[in-house]
Amino acid sequence: MAERRFDPTRLPGFATVAVAVFVLLYLPIATLVAYSFNGGDSVAVWGGFSLDWYGRAWANETVKAAALRSVVIAACASALATTLATLAAVGVVRNRRMKGRAVVYMAINQPLMVPEIVTAVALLIFFASVRQFTGYQGLGYLIAAHAAFCVPFAYLPISARLEGMDATLEAAAADLYATPRQAFRHVTLPLLTPGIIAGAMLAFVISLDDVVITEFVKSAGQDTLPTYMLAQMRRGVSPEVNAISTMLLMVTVVLLTAFFIINKQTNRGKQ
Amino acid sequence: MDEATRVYVKDASKRFGHGATVVHALADVTLTIEGGSFFTLLGPSGCGKTTLLRLLAGFETPTGGRILLGDQDVTALPPNRRPINTVFQSYALFPHLSVAQNVGFGLKMQGIARAKRDARVDQMLALVRMQDFAERPVAQLSGGQQQRVALARALAPEPRVLLLDEPLSALDLKLRKEMQIELKRLQRETGITFVFVTHDQEEALTMSDRIAVMSAGRVQQIGTPREIYAHPANRFVAGFIGESNFLPVTVADGAARIGDHRISLAAPADPGPATLAIRPEDIMLEPGAALSAEVTDTVYLGNAVQIMARLEDGTQIALRQPATIDLPESGQRIGLRLPVEAVQILEAE
Ligand SMILES: Nc1ncnc2c1ncn2[C@@H]1O[C@H](COP(=O)(O)OP(=O)(O)O)[C@@H](O)[C@H]1O
Ligand SMILES: [Mg+2]
Repeated sequence: MAERRFDPTRLPGFATVAVAVFVLLYLPIATLVAYSFNGGDSVAVWGGFSLDWYGRAWANETVKAAALRSVVIAACASALATTLATLAAVGVVRNRRMKGRAVVYMAINQPLMVPEIVTAVALLIFFASVRQFTGYQGLGYLIAAHAAFCVPFAYLPISARLEGMDATLEAAAADLYATPRQAFRHVTLPLLTPGIIAGAMLAFVISLDDVVITEFVKSAGQDTLPTYMLAQMRRGVSPEVNAISTMLLMVTVVLLTAFFIINKQTNRGKQ
Repeated sequence: MDEATRVYVKDASKRFGHGATVVHALADVTLTIEGGSFFTLLGPSGCGKTTLLRLLAGFETPTGGRILLGDQDVTALPPNRRPINTVFQSYALFPHLSVAQNVGFGLKMQGIARAKRDARVDQMLALVRMQDFAERPVAQLSGGQQQRVALARALAPEPRVLLLDEPLSALDLKLRKEMQIELKRLQRETGITFVFVTHDQEEALTMSDRIAVMSAGRVQQIGTPREIYAHPANRFVAGFIGESNFLPVTVADGAARIGDHRISLAAPADPGPATLAIRPEDIMLEPGAALSAEVTDTVYLGNAVQIMARLEDGTQIALRQPATIDLPESGQRIGLRLPVEAVQILEAE
């Protein structure tokens, strides 16, 4: 008889546990989405189908402003984080013998290792003194903070793509009279683009749903969609929050689906 | 020969790593590659051929020594400032560009105007017979076609020297033979100096104007294919290029002694113990000759037979004869003559 590898799907009760996990993960979300279409004004009692809460959320100027702010911050922060991550990836991956590689690696991944609440408090204190010193009050603080914790997420697909890229191609470019800058512009960058797009989308999604750091760093009147929702919840849950959550969910699902499609095509292109 | 495209390598050495793990990839390599010639670096895998090519291209800087192109010292120039192009073993075509864009890449980087560039690309594609593929993405090409595009791309900027690192080793036998002829044609038509790397001695012999035989990071011999085949400088070269018999002999009074048999020598040699090298096809069968051997085995090769025999002192010897002769039996005694012009005296082991 052929030897079989350990197969967890054959364990007794596997199906039960699997179903339970799926229910736990997705039932709350399904409920949330369902009640966003509730006609009544409760999040627990079904009062018939309606798009009423979407209409109200849409008409709410505060929601619109928060949504716009979220998108602006996510766009700026992901652009910034992606640029930094690209430069870091090229620097680290292309210099195998670089001194202090480990240090750079730690620096890039710092946001994944330090508890978010600690970073949030640190940023709060740090930005307070910057604010005092410069007098600047704008969205810059939130953008900078978001960019910082988005870097490792943007870095991941970019460095993976670069690792898989044949370094001979860059040598060939140099051989054909490309300066290092031209080789980057005409060979490395175009081949890296799918990784960069994937990294940017991941960073965008991560920025879009941040609560902890945003809550600490924002000044008055700088609510993003998630912090606005948090504030609403403190006053009591209304199906309006369900509607906003559902819309946020849609945006995230669309972006992540695109991310996986790009990644898959990229990997196929490598073979 | 063209002075400006002559390549001089002077005492070039290259070490990798340090301490206990140091590798001497090249040790004091000195050679001259004449402008407009087809020059081959030949040697077994790991002997430093690629390293030497990378020094010429500028991807590595030598640990010691200098590299000159014409009378210009290029040792410290980066690859993009050397008028030397490479055909990579893996071709290294840019996957995001079309065939024509690949071929035009070097010209574009040199800042050559669009119209002139397009004309040159067309000309290059015609040279390698790939006109019909100009707009194809390179991923759709076969190995042989990619090879041609890589050649056209490297030739398009009219380099003074073209480096080719085992360009044919990935191709099947038939395609390899075709490309050998094709490469010779391209070299003749363009007049560019070709530096060709191979580990295949037959390929080196048929294609080259001159060959540098390398082993363990050193150049063992430089010469025309004929010189290297007929007069190998040492045992390594004699054994690597074609087949050779190596017989221990003693040299005295202008003759080599095998046991009590004397072979008078054409060229003077230092007295004392030495190694006599002779090709299997150069040994003649001569009934009743003073040097005799006992046949141990015969192998039929189609157009020839190889006879394995043992000399009186026990040394194994191989000789090759036309397939038309009467095959001797195993155990039979045969007489051998070693023609003086085919005998080469090398240092003793
Ligand atoms: N980048 C490198 N680092 C360490 N050792 C190397 C490097 N490149 C080549 N070598 C070593 O140098 C020697 C010559 O290699 P190479 O020039 O590639 O030989 P060839 O092309 O003749 O097969 C080998 O022993 C190889 O392992
Ligand atoms: Mg090699």
